[in-house]
Amino acid sequence: MAEAPLVEFKDLCVSYGPVQALSGVSGAFLPGPTGLLGPNGAGKTTLLKTLLGFLEPERGSLSAFGLDPVRQPLEVRRRIGYMPEVDCHLPGMTAAAFVAFAGELSGMPRDEAVSRAHEVLYYVGLGEARYRTVDTYSTGMKQRVKLAQALVHDPDLLLLDEPTNGLDPAGREEMLALVRDVSDRRQMSLILCSHLLRDVEQVCENVIVFNLGRVAASGRIADLTGPRRSVYDVRVKGDPAAFLTDLKDHGCEWREGEDGYRVFMSDGLGPELIFRTAREAGVQVRFLRPGAETLEDVFLRALGHEAEG
Amino acid sequence: MPIYEQTYRRHEARGPLRRVRFWPITREALRLILARRWFLALLAAAGLPFVVQVIRIYVVTRFPQANQFLPVDGRLFGELLAWQALFTMFITIFGGAGLVANDLRTGAILVYLSRPLTRRDYVIGKLGVLLALNLAVTLLPGLMLYLVALSLAPDLFWKWSLAWIAPAVVAQSLAISIVMSLVALAVSSLSRSARVAGLGFFGLLIGLEVARGILYALYRRPETALLSLQADLRSLGVALFGLTERAVTLPWAYAAAMLVTVSIACLLILRSRVRAVEIVQ
Repeated sequence: MAEAPLVEFKDLCVSYGPVQALSGVSGAFLPGPTGLLGPNGAGKTTLLKTLLGFLEPERGSLSAFGLDPVRQPLEVRRRIGYMPEVDCHLPGMTAAAFVAFAGELSGMPRDEAVSRAHEVLYYVGLGEARYRTVDTYSTGMKQRVKLAQALVHDPDLLLLDEPTNGLDPAGREEMLALVRDVSDRRQMSLILCSHLLRDVEQVCENVIVFNLGRVAASGRIADLTGPRRSVYDVRVKGDPAAFLTDLKDHGCEWREGEDGYRVFMSDGLGPELIFRTAREAGVQVRFLRPGAETLEDVFLRALGHEAEG
Repeated sequence: MPIYEQTYRRHEARGPLRRVRFWPITREALRLILARRWFLALLAAAGLPFVVQVIRIYVVTRFPQANQFLPVDGRLFGELLAWQALFTMFITIFGGAGLVANDLRTGAILVYLSRPLTRRDYVIGKLGVLLALNLAVTLLPGLMLYLVALSLAPDLFWKWSLAWIAPAVVAQSLAISIVMSLVALAVSSLSRSARVAGLGFFGLLIGLEVARGILYALYRRPETALLSLQADLRSLGVALFGLTERAVTLPWAYAAAMLVTVSIACLLILRSRVRAVEIVQ
């Protein structure tokens, strides 16, 4: 039996004055980790803010845990942990006091919030630094505090808005490991809002891609990126213009990669077409490797500029 | 074994939503403010006028002839609160300028608003901080002075005709505290810098008072007092305590109307600013 979605939205329209941020979007967040992808201004944060009850939809409906965030915002918010994209802390407060305070604001009794704050700070790796004021923390530590304050009341759904923002590669890996642990081993559902495809790929099972206020693609990452069609990474020697035009004429698509081209074959066609076309166009194939469609390909296709060819 | 293996556990207990949700906001902000020693020194300094008035009552009870040049009656409380109003200005600047501005600068406002709290809870929580501090330097010394006066000079103060003193102290203290607190919070919400907000609040109060003085010097009309919050508060004090005011004052109803208008305007600013933050950030 299919799992009931935690959050469902149907024909949702949200505007900031004359600017339409979400235009009739529909979809659902299932239990488990879901990625929310899209370029800046695509409507990701708007959706999160509508979910938190900050914004009222003009049209359509959104329900979280079967509740209406517009009519029951407090009930919805107490079941959500929100890690905002922007820096957030209270000046002069230690991490332990800050996280305990966040727990109290979520409705926990003070004693429980204090004890839970210590646990959560240990969990995110700030146990030794928990009595330092957050102002003195590095960017990576501030990101961890933000995660701790979102986790302190043990929400049913965690909203992570760009959790790896500003982190160095090692810090990023650690943060993603934490997020994965929350999701995989603690069985907490989460929505990871990011423009970094690798972050989403590493953590999430499902993805919803937003573009220009609309849902451009959605589903299981495995289904979206599976071997639906052949993809080849190709490097050629010689003028590639005629080669690429011929490929396009055969119904293939391509886009320029770091070191060559990524060719998306049309159905039923194989690498022999690439060799034949290259021979006809007078270029040498110096490298050819079969690949699989990645989330980046799905993302770019959803945004409408997958293929230049 | 990683440390988180040992520590994280699910937290299942979830009671009903609290009825009083603003209290943690007020308590934590007060704790942070009162942790500053210089602020405690300022609060202690705000007790000086109270000490002076107690000495005054004591001197008059010891030397009744001193009552001729140091009159001890209901006006004593009005004079005390006039001094305390000056202290509330500084306490509000140093305690309140950063209350919203810092939340805007550090993004902490999203920590509040993403919790089961309404915008009203947030504003009440912040307002509670300033009200607590301002009432501590107006209402508290005012009522304590009344108790001291009753115990030191019962023959002077234990009279039915002076029973208005306690309600007048409460009314004037509330007026000073509410207006100062609301204006400070509104100014604080207009900036992301506590310093700018503090200077803005100070400039607003002093600037309007100076403007009132200039306009009065030019036109000699009492309505000019409408411009200045301090003048409006003084006008209330004159009406409540029967002070002989040096400066020009308004009929109390006009002053009260002005103070109510300013308070409503501040609430609207706060409502709009907190809302704007939700949407823009």
